[in-house]
Amino acid sequence: MNKKSLKFSIMITTVALAAMLAGAWLAEIYRQHDSRAMLLPDRVMTLFPDPKPLTAFALTDDKHRTFDLARLKGKWSFLFFGFTHCPDVCPTTLAVLARTRDNIAKNTVGAEAIQFVFISVDPYRDTASKLRQYVNYFDATFVGVTGDDAQIGNLAGQLGATYQVARTPGMENYPVYHTTAVFLVDPRARYHAVFPPPHDAAAISKRFKVVRELEGGNAT
Amino acid sequence: MRWRDPVVVCLIFAAGVVPAASGEAGVSVRDAWIRETPPGMTMMAGYMEMRNNTSRPQVLVGASSSGFESVMIHRTLVKDGMAGMVHASRIELAPNASLIFAPGGYHLMLMNAKRTLHAGDPVVINLEFRGGLVLPVAFAVRK
Repeated sequence: MNKKSLKFSIMITTVALAAMLAGAWLAEIYRQHDSRAMLLPDRVMTLFPDPKPLTAFALTDDKHRTFDLARLKGKWSFLFFGFTHCPDVCPTTLAVLARTRDNIAKNTVGAEAIQFVFISVDPYRDTASKLRQYVNYFDATFVGVTGDDAQIGNLAGQLGATYQVARTPGMENYPVYHTTAVFLVDPRARYHAVFPPPHDAAAISKRFKVVRELEGGNAT
Repeated sequence: MRWRDPVVVCLIFAAGVVPAASGEAGVSVRDAWIRETPPGMTMMAGYMEMRNNTSRPQVLVGASSSGFESVMIHRTLVKDGMAGMVHASRIELAPNASLIFAPGGYHLMLMNAKRTLHAGDPVVINLEFRGGLVLPVAFAVRK
């Protein structure tokens, strides 16, 4: 063995040892902090170390049925607040969520145990039939829900979502402001994670797959 | 980027526009599209890439279309964690610069389409610039 190749072997050995040590160290952190620690922080998703259980709320879905806490149980739910007169953010986000659902349905086992809920903060204009027509355009499985201000405010408050409907009498196109994050609620109806904008279907579905694997049977 | 993109030229011809109009305005537009919306919805949004090919600023002051009751230049802004839209009365395009109208940012807010628009339909929107120049642009409705 010449000098050069000896030097090279030492270097390779050092690198390999460092990698092994780093691996062992990461594995230990991973073990200590629960695997979810490895996902924080992230630009696509914020995963909560201690998911917050949601409390009772009552809204109405696009088929006039009650949409309450029980409807969030046993499924992973993606929630998005908006309104149908929204030309930019809402259709953009719902189109991304439709692609997200396709991705999840294609790649994740048990894709039937997910739902996507569009919560209208504009009940004055968004009637059940209008909501049905709207969400159905993006994906036939999407659910549209709404309620009165107190009912919407209850769920929004629990998720840290904000909205403001600047309705003035006689004004047809009043402005509406709303949080554009997508909220993930786990099958135990706990606020599990949030996806801040901008949204990307591939990124969200990838993160969701990991979250689901981490939870395994825990959450269901 | 090829701003003399054949697609742009085709779009301009398709709109029945004298090609010189874009040359005079010194502004070219590409990738102009409108997001298809669910049936019965009154609000749509148009997006595009607008380029100022001249060495002086160009100012977009308005837009109109025979396909809609009204067209407004809007921008989605996030304030206090909430997204909302603000009306932009004018947008200045810096010399030799481009501006992208894209989801979550600048867009043309299109209100009350005169007929239901489906993916593939062309719609002409006239972009009005300071100085009286009007640039008709063919937007394609896309999913």
